[in-house]
Amino acid sequence: MARAGGITNAVNVGIAVQADWENREFISHISLNVRRLFEFLLQFEATTKSKLASLNEKLDTLERRLELLEVQVGTASANPSLFST
Amino acid sequence: MAAVPVEEAIAALSTFSLEDEQPEVQGPAVLVSTERGSTISPIEYSDVSAYRLSLTEDTKALNQLNTLIQDGKEMASVLYTYRSCVKALPQLPESLKHSQADLYLETYQVLDLEMSRLREIQRWQASAATKLAADMQRFSRPERRINGPTITHLWSMLKLLDVLVQLDHLKNAKASIPNDFSWYKRTFTQVSIQWPDTDSMREELDDLQIFLSTRWAILLNLHVEMFRVNNVEDILQVLIVFAVESLELDFALLFPERHMLLRVLPVLVVMATSSEKDSESLYKRNDPVIPAFPDLHLSPTAILKELSNYFQKFSSQTRLLTLPSPHELPPRERHYLIVNHIGAIRAEHDDFAIRFASAMNQLLLLKSTDGADVEWCKEVKGNMYDMVVEGFQLLSRWTARVWEQCAWKFSRPCKDVGPSESQELSSSYSDYEKVVRYNYSAEERKALVELVSYIKSVGSMMQRSDTLIADALWETIHAEVQDFVQNTLATMLRTTFRKKKDLSRILSDMRTLSADWMANTNKPDSEFQSLQHGGDESRGNFFYPRPVAPTAAQVHCLQFLIYEVVSGGNLRKPGGLFGNSGSEIPVNDLKQLETFFYKLSFFLHILDYSATIATLTDLGFLWFREFYLESSRVIQFPVECSLPWMLVDHVLESQSAGLLESVLMPFDIYNDSAQHALVVLKQRFLYDEIEAEVDHCFDIFVTKLCEAIFTYYKSWSASELLDPSFLFALDNGEKYSIQPMRFTSLLKMTRVKLLGRTIDLRSLIAEWMNKVFRENLEFLFDRFESQDLCAIVELEKLIDILKHSHELLSKDLSIDSFSLMLNEMQENISLVSFSSRLASQIWSEMQSDFLPNFILCNTTQRFIRSSKVPLVPVQKPSVPHAKPNFYCGTQDLNSAHQSFARLHSGFFGIPHMISLVKLLGSRSLPWLIRALLDHISNKIATLEPMITGLQETLPKSIGLLPFDGGVTGCMRLVKEQLSWGTKSELKAEVLRGIKEIGSVLYWMGLLDIVLRELDTTHFMQTAPWLGLLPGADGQMLSQNAGESPVVNLFKSATAAIVSNPRCPNPTSFYTMSKQAEAADLLYKANLNTGSVLEYALAFTSAALDKYCSKWSAAPKTGFIDITTSKDFYRIYSGLQIGYLEQSVQLQPNNHDMLGDSVAWGGCTIIYLLGQQLHFELFDFSYQILNVAEVEAASIMQTHKSPHSGQGWDSMLEAMKKARRLNNHVFSMLKARCPLEDKMACAIKQSGAPLPRIKFENTVSAFETLPQKGT
Repeated sequence: MARAGGITNAVNVGIAVQADWENREFISHISLNVRRLFEFLLQFEATTKSKLASLNEKLDTLERRLELLEVQVGTASANPSLFST
Repeated sequence: MAAVPVEEAIAALSTFSLEDEQPEVQGPAVLVSTERGSTISPIEYSDVSAYRLSLTEDTKALNQLNTLIQDGKEMASVLYTYRSCVKALPQLPESLKHSQADLYLETYQVLDLEMSRLREIQRWQASAATKLAADMQRFSRPERRINGPTITHLWSMLKLLDVLVQLDHLKNAKASIPNDFSWYKRTFTQVSIQWPDTDSMREELDDLQIFLSTRWAILLNLHVEMFRVNNVEDILQVLIVFAVESLELDFALLFPERHMLLRVLPVLVVMATSSEKDSESLYKRNDPVIPAFPDLHLSPTAILKELSNYFQKFSSQTRLLTLPSPHELPPRERHYLIVNHIGAIRAEHDDFAIRFASAMNQLLLLKSTDGADVEWCKEVKGNMYDMVVEGFQLLSRWTARVWEQCAWKFSRPCKDVGPSESQELSSSYSDYEKVVRYNYSAEERKALVELVSYIKSVGSMMQRSDTLIADALWETIHAEVQDFVQNTLATMLRTTFRKKKDLSRILSDMRTLSADWMANTNKPDSEFQSLQHGGDESRGNFFYPRPVAPTAAQVHCLQFLIYEVVSGGNLRKPGGLFGNSGSEIPVNDLKQLETFFYKLSFFLHILDYSATIATLTDLGFLWFREFYLESSRVIQFPVECSLPWMLVDHVLESQSAGLLESVLMPFDIYNDSAQHALVVLKQRFLYDEIEAEVDHCFDIFVTKLCEAIFTYYKSWSASELLDPSFLFALDNGEKYSIQPMRFTSLLKMTRVKLLGRTIDLRSLIAEWMNKVFRENLEFLFDRFESQDLCAIVELEKLIDILKHSHELLSKDLSIDSFSLMLNEMQENISLVSFSSRLASQIWSEMQSDFLPNFILCNTTQRFIRSSKVPLVPVQKPSVPHAKPNFYCGTQDLNSAHQSFARLHSGFFGIPHMISLVKLLGSRSLPWLIRALLDHISNKIATLEPMITGLQETLPKSIGLLPFDGGVTGCMRLVKEQLSWGTKSELKAEVLRGIKEIGSVLYWMGLLDIVLRELDTTHFMQTAPWLGLLPGADGQMLSQNAGESPVVNLFKSATAAIVSNPRCPNPTSFYTMSKQAEAADLLYKANLNTGSVLEYALAFTSAALDKYCSKWSAAPKTGFIDITTSKDFYRIYSGLQIGYLEQSVQLQPNNHDMLGDSVAWGGCTIIYLLGQQLHFELFDFSYQILNVAEVEAASIMQTHKSPHSGQGWDSMLEAMKKARRLNNHVFSMLKARCPLEDKMACAIKQSGAPLPRIKFENTVSAFETLPQKGT
């Protein structure tokens, strides 16, 4: 049974472990917040895309309306005599 | 620069408003691939040595195995994705035979590359087997001097074994590899003739050939390696026990590990039983199929049977060899089919989703609360942790079900392809079609879609909460570990293990390497401080939770130590790992150790949060079919055979409202498989194939989806527009109602994530809808153009339905306005053109078909098609064909609406006029009226010479009919006088002309009625706003207050709003008030619209003016001209009697030759020429009627039989009828176009009457109508 266990310098290991816990707390803290930042960016991108899509939709509609109006004005200005009264 | 704490900075981000309208109806669609951080130690356990547990040897061996596993997986992907090269090799044509050698060389070079990979696999498996065997031997010697194997080490052994088994299995399954190899060998012999010294190469080739052609070569080799020194049985036993125990407990296993153990176990059993010792009894499982590769499953029984040929000792194990193989199992084996579990899964999903969300809410609430109670804090976070564990287990179970169902389906291809398919057809189906395409019933597809969407939605729900809950999870894990090592272990050390020095040393090692004694030192909260230090004695350590998780190395060491404690260093401990037989540890402690042991292994999955979710929700395997591609000898299967697409297609085809929102979920499978192809299999061509399929499928999907949306909205509006009373009276009315479907969430998808692309589904749908609405309008007009004018009611109805569906759809989707599309399709956009496509069609239809071929029935107020064959056959395009959704949506609704339309298809009357007015509107109607009026004046112009011709043939004088001849005599006289001479052919022509004029006028009358009705409705709506009140005498009274209510309302509202100082922008309200005034003016001006009929009559009158002198000659004497008059009335009178006679002679009821509009036309002209009285006095038929009356009276007196009246009855009847009709027309004309006043003053001073006074038409009136043809 001599082989199992056997941390040779238990006190030193204990101190190191304690320090390790604290260091890792700092690391996890930073990494978690970096991930949150990243997540925020993703979400920001997603919502921005949504907003752009709805903007695009409105622009599309407007564009088509404008096209129509242009055609209408075109037909009107092609026959100026009709409006000369 | 002042540093802002990270946490605050991040928290500040949440002040951004990131609301998103898109519903969550698709999977998580991994954006960034995450490597595993904890499960596989990222630093290869190099930190293990820091804990000084003398595990250096073990760690080294472990890392070596892990590297081998990694390599082996890559080899397996190479083998799995191997595609035969031979098929692609060109054949040389005869003309190029001389360069055969070049071809051989080229082929050799190509194949050599592939074969070098195979050679590499061969070499690798040999070294892997050696290393694994050596590893096992090293760690299984009873008298070993080194620590190990650790639990992680055992896992690695099992994993490597699994890789080897899979590799072997693949090698056996892939037929193309030996094929390619033999070709390669052939080219080699051809090529190597010129090469010196090819012996070693040849030898190598032979080796490879043996390797490739021997089944289970890898396992056999491993077996040889392992039993080179005869002491691996121990470790094999340990592995078997470990695997069986893990499988039985099943707590800490996610499905990939479970499947791995299941795959390895039969092989382990075979290996172990090939030694003397008996381990067969441990293998009690009977899984018919185990998933191995996406389309390649393992059957343990088949493996056992096959391996028994190679392992002599194992072949005596009869029990294992008589297990039934999957295709022999009875069909009641239903465990594998999801459809049998979907009810339970659904309940699990609903329950879990709710509880997870509520745990999330609790956590968010906690985060927003300052100074929350520690216990509550711990509870909420612990609850969150439990939910995550449960979620992982659910996902793992569900995904495993999908895998297992797939494997099951692959092992049981469908037998009959379908009752309708003929036998020879079904034999032509490929194997893949048999196992996939026709192997899933509709129910099963539905269940699969449902399960896939559960997996994906739970996955994305958990994925989204990743960073929110990460620290809570860490804290809970930290607390669990600390609680165990600081409290539980402390108790154990004080009690049970006090006397056992060895064991207690292990326990205190566990404490040393993981305890966090000062977890609270950086929290300056005195209360916790005191608790931490003071509570030591009474209730164990209190420790403030620290959001840090243990490392992989810590978990690894803890597991190792626990294992050491419970096994007591004896690997082959009887009764399993945590069985308590022969152990010195009390049951209670053992239980605690066991629980903690398995918890530890699950911690790692939780720490690898997003990677675990990605693994658990990865359904990419549903697409892969490399094995079947090879066996079917095709390059790729059609898209219909692709399972993901089958699921999408099923959702669309089933029209099931519940599934609809899951329609995007199967596309996530493509995301997964693309990821798998790139990251795991590392094959570009697979990705390309997936991408091509996705492109193709998504196009079809969008088209099909839009089609479904369009059909749905169309049927919805069609069923809403059905007459409710009609529906009420029906017995089967429900077949006309439609099932509600929710497309709204799909219509909101602006970001569909597909293979890294973002697709705006909403805009795609909107685009398609804009197109299809136009196409539909186009179709409706085409259809109308191929029918006659009576179809206008149907057209209006169909356009109404389309318009209503547009309205319904516009609520969820922004598409072009309907009037815009209608105008576009009507070619009615130009500001200066008033003829729309529809108006010109109606006009040309009237001109070419309606006016010549329809006859009027005055009584019913309808025009009907004459039974006469038309003079000019009307040329029409054939009715275009279209899908039912271009009419009303579904077939049932189509037939309902069609039967309604059929009611109106045979005539033209008021309903048609209503539709016509609605469709043309105020824009094109004037154009049409003008066109018709021009038609009248043209007709009159063409009639003029004919009338003149007829006038010429009239005898010089026609006296009044004498009474003495009786009816017969009169008729004879009339016939003699009205022979028309040479011009008799003009008669019919003139009559037709008059009939058309009459038809137009009557048509105008109908139009007038309809317009009046509309005007009245309009008036009723506007009158209260304009302040119009009914007066006592039926007149309208204006409100005396000056301004109308609408102006007042807006003015006072504006005043009220502007007086409020907080009103931001008063100008818009002023504008509104101004607009109200404008509206008032416009509506008031519209109140007294003229009558179309009166206008038409005035126009006709003006048109007749030109011919007044010819048709209405002023008598020279000044007195009424009786005998010599050739006025129009005389001509018409003659025509009428001839026409009456003719119609009576032909058939008694064949009156419909020209219909009643002749009378309308003739009488109107007569009336407008001021000849009504003349006509009534001198008309031949009227005279004859008078004669007949006298005759009848004399007959009555003399009581003689009415011989003279004989034979004329029907003629007289017709004349009476004509007189009644004429009187009707005249009275109508008198009412609508009074001439009496002017007639009254049209008497000369001398007393001589002027025949007709010019009826003044204002010229300007006609100029307001647009000219035809512009």
